[in-house]
Amino acid sequence: MRNDNNPANDIGTQYYATQLGIYDEMYATENKALPYWERFMGALEAMGSEKLELRRREAQRLLRENGVTYNVYGDSQNLTRPWRLDPVPLLISSEEWSVIETGLKQRAALLDLILKDIYGKQNLLKKGLLPAELVLGHEGFLHPCVGALQNQLRHLTIYSANLARGPNGRMWVLDDRTQAPSGSGYALENRTVMTRVLPDIFRETQVHRLSVFFKALRKGLADIAPHNKEDPRIVILTPGPLNETYFEHAYLASYLGYTLVQGGDLTVRDGRVWLKSLTGLQAVDVILRRVDDSFCDPLELRSSSQLGVAGLLEVVRRGNVAIANPLGSSILENPGLLAFLPRLSRHFLNEELKLSSVATWWCGQRRERDFVLQNLDNLVIKPINRSMGNHAVFGGELSSKEKEQLRSQILAKPHLFIGQERVSFSTLPAFIDHSIEPRNAVIRSFVVASGDDYVVMPGGLTRIARQKDNFIVSSQAGGISKDTWVLASEPDKPISLWTQPKRNQLIDAATEPLTSRAADNLFWVGRHLERTEAVTRLLRTILLKLRESLEFKDSIDTECLNVLLRTLTQVTGTYPGFVKGDAQLLKTPEAELLSLAKDGHRKGSLTANIQAFFQAAFSIRDFWSQDTWRSVDNIQRRWQQRVINNELNIEQLQNNLDDLITGIVAFTGLTNESMTREAAWLMLDSGRRLERALALIALLRSTLALQHEDALQNQVLEAVLVSTDSLTIYQRRYRSFIQLPMVLELLLLDETHPRSVAYQLHQLCIHVEALPRCKGNSHLSKEERLILKAYTDLRLCNVLELTQATENKAIYIDFDKLLANTTALLWQFAEVIADAYFSHSQTSELMILNTPEDEL
Amino acid sequence: MKYRITHSTFYHYSQSVGLCQNEVKLQPRNFWRQHCHNSRFDIKPTPMDFRERTDFFGNRVTYFAIQQPHTQLIVTAISEVTIFPRENNLDLFNQLTWEQVRSLLQGTPLQIQSQSEQSQNQVQIQDNNLEILDARQYVIDSPMVTIIPELADYARSSFLPNRALVDVVHDLMGRIHKDFTYDPTFTTIATPLSEVLSFRRGVCQDFAHLAIGCLRAYGIAARYISGYVETLPEPGKQRLTGADASHAWFSVYIPGTGWLDFDPTNNTVPLDQHITLAWGRDYADVTPLKGIAFGGGQHTLSVSVDVLRLE
Repeated sequence: MRNDNNPANDIGTQYYATQLGIYDEMYATENKALPYWERFMGALEAMGSEKLELRRREAQRLLRENGVTYNVYGDSQNLTRPWRLDPVPLLISSEEWSVIETGLKQRAALLDLILKDIYGKQNLLKKGLLPAELVLGHEGFLHPCVGALQNQLRHLTIYSANLARGPNGRMWVLDDRTQAPSGSGYALENRTVMTRVLPDIFRETQVHRLSVFFKALRKGLADIAPHNKEDPRIVILTPGPLNETYFEHAYLASYLGYTLVQGGDLTVRDGRVWLKSLTGLQAVDVILRRVDDSFCDPLELRSSSQLGVAGLLEVVRRGNVAIANPLGSSILENPGLLAFLPRLSRHFLNEELKLSSVATWWCGQRRERDFVLQNLDNLVIKPINRSMGNHAVFGGELSSKEKEQLRSQILAKPHLFIGQERVSFSTLPAFIDHSIEPRNAVIRSFVVASGDDYVVMPGGLTRIARQKDNFIVSSQAGGISKDTWVLASEPDKPISLWTQPKRNQLIDAATEPLTSRAADNLFWVGRHLERTEAVTRLLRTILLKLRESLEFKDSIDTECLNVLLRTLTQVTGTYPGFVKGDAQLLKTPEAELLSLAKDGHRKGSLTANIQAFFQAAFSIRDFWSQDTWRSVDNIQRRWQQRVINNELNIEQLQNNLDDLITGIVAFTGLTNESMTREAAWLMLDSGRRLERALALIALLRSTLALQHEDALQNQVLEAVLVSTDSLTIYQRRYRSFIQLPMVLELLLLDETHPRSVAYQLHQLCIHVEALPRCKGNSHLSKEERLILKAYTDLRLCNVLELTQATENKAIYIDFDKLLANTTALLWQFAEVIADAYFSHSQTSELMILNTPEDEL
Repeated sequence: MKYRITHSTFYHYSQSVGLCQNEVKLQPRNFWRQHCHNSRFDIKPTPMDFRERTDFFGNRVTYFAIQQPHTQLIVTAISEVTIFPRENNLDLFNQLTWEQVRSLLQGTPLQIQSQSEQSQNQVQIQDNNLEILDARQYVIDSPMVTIIPELADYARSSFLPNRALVDVVHDLMGRIHKDFTYDPTFTTIATPLSEVLSFRRGVCQDFAHLAIGCLRAYGIAARYISGYVETLPEPGKQRLTGADASHAWFSVYIPGTGWLDFDPTNNTVPLDQHITLAWGRDYADVTPLKGIAFGGGQHTLSVSVDVLRLE
């Protein structure tokens, strides 16, 4: 029902068509919208759909620029998918919320007690309150974790529940998330964006702030630290940038001020967990894990896991590290447990369960199994283990053959299955294709332990399906998220996430330790970006020359172009390319040039370098300020949109190269201005300097180290100066004389020129000395010696001697030798740096006794 | 019968290992049939971190870490154990049918009654109950034994209606011994049961897993035992030191009797020549020695076991 004559007012509540028999959030059970929805929708209506669409796009832009992504497995083309946010939030009144909040707290407390029992005395099993097969037959029950829980007020630190409202208007719990719940960071980012795109409406509607939750999370994590409770070292353990919610891991790490680590960044020694950093091993007190529990320790749990830390569970057992949530807590995600919660609530709390779960029958009991088998058509059937596929099957939608199969599977191992009632969730208004439509929604709520109580995030992550009448709501399936506004009776006071130190107390500045993995990535961010820049500049010079040679048809132009083309092949390492001496290729180089720019599968191409740069930067997402990340994203996205996804010609490529240079300069400038000159910056800049030196040397070797005729020489010299952004400086300094020795003076030896080789080597000397490893050691380290040698050799050379022409030789032998030697030293230097600082790459190997042999 | 067992494992690495963490289950556990007088480790290089504990199944576990660079690692466990012979063989005449055992295992535990009603008798029922409760975890799938229809098919002819469970297991053990070829070259730890079943080859570990799978397919509780068996030299030959090996067999729960061991590799009911190290749902629960080494390149491994009868 769209009123096309009046497009400005087409999103009012009168156009909202709800479905019969489905509860709608706006209408509840009445025919009139609830007053707070009425007010909100009135404000939207006043804005009109066009404006709202603009706001929606603005929100998408902000999310994209902030790098909010959700990785979709099996989508290698588009590794990161932008996070989608609907501008219409879910509104919940404060009265209703307090009911939900109480229910969530009770449920968290109950699950905590169950966890403690299962990994402790197991009275629930002994007393028959939980069947053995339900607990011991679930893959979330980790035998080695029994008895490993430490003395904490609450063991379940973080809890999350998916809620949906049923037709009767009551909230139901669909499932419990207890192992490493995700989504709180997305909820926070949604809120941040909403306050920017709908600031006035947000202000007028009094909404509870989310920061109370994150403050409690910080405190909750500090509380469980076994040592250093005052100032514990807390890390976030992520599976890495390929994980679906990696953005959130990085986001929470920088928001909460924790170090983001992967399994390889940690090690176990002397019964403690240590962070491997450039400054040595740092003790870790608390791990907020986003790695599934069975993957956390290859020694005692899943031996094939590369995501964990060998020996971690032993450290937990000794009480030297706390993990949130504890290893083994995924047992609580067993959906079969839902059927037993009401009984356990009465047993533990002497209370009825306040938030009901979706009606669930666990087939491990005979009566329940028979019920499920008799009602297969009306139920949703789920396996209790996620590894059996997380697919809920709607019994009614199966063919009779499939149904028979399912039936025999259930009969063979009944304890592995549950049947659940099919619930139709409530709908709520969503802004879809310029109009307001009802969509089914699921709310993910977040709870964190604080002392012996729990704190609930006043809000959450609401998700809707894209299509109408679709009950499968998940981010993997391409759902859309919404902010969740819990209305307050009076405005919330802002809560600062900062902890207040006592008056006049000076806290020691704790420099975050730089993990060797992060150092490695920073180094490569610098290298890939610099390589991209060098190739871009050279390519630009070539395109210029190409145009000139076509225009003036001067043979010297063509010869110079050929020199440059061969240089490009050498600088990019894309042999045989132009080096092969194929006359035809040199005559019509356009296709090869475009391929060197565009082809991501070609090692050395611009696209390949940009992608590598982006991947390295993404792996350490937590390091970049928001502005810096935006510049990273710009470089990658523009190139993707304008070059990779486009059929473009040589002229258009030229413009895009200019753009790319601007993008690179923005990144370089931002990092220069916003990073403290500590290990992280040293690594980034060392990568950059090293690569710039290598690229410049490669350029010089294949241009100026060759002996040319005077006329050609002049052109090549000019091209080299252009390609190194040094022409203006040269002209100012030497006016109109262009001579090889003077160009070399500037590009090779001038330590004040940021594009000279000498400048790069000098900077590397300074950086290496400042790196933490060398402190307090009077001997020069291996990397110091190498770089000092390269630098000194260069300083000792004499450009006039280097450029003595030799009869019948194509190259300046001494000059070429110097360049070759410097390159070799720099390569060695890079290897030594990698060995010394990036040793995390050392792989582990499982040693296991092979088949025991026996006598017959 | 008293034995001294010396079990050594040698690792050689092609490159230096900077750090390795290990978990060892090489110390014999105590139970009614067996007493371990003493058991000690000799590990080279000396571990910086060494800790003993008891695992979920009651087995003795040792964690140790070597934190200095090394190119070889030798782990030796030396234990002295007494095996008490059975007083009689009445256990083997338990007449409970396998169907009866199955329903006992499936039955829900007794209801907890109010405190005032608790009597000595009830405590006893409770104990029995706990034993059955414990046994139930050995009926369901475990990491290395997944019940598949082929297992039930193979075992069917042993599971005759109303046959005593003891007889069923005897029969099954005999058939495995007869039908399967002992072949150390055929399987590795990763070989799935379905392959062992279709090629009819394997080693003691496979045969134990196979029997366990067959029994569980019929709702019977069965567990995996790791240990050693005493070997006697052929008549007239000198006994060779270190030529023994690790061994594995299985155990079946029979209500009223408890757990009864069977060795399908040798087609015997272990009496006083089997020394038990540990038990669990399958090999994964009782792996004698496993470790994670950082660095090291290629490694080679050799094992020597010596089971010496002392008295």
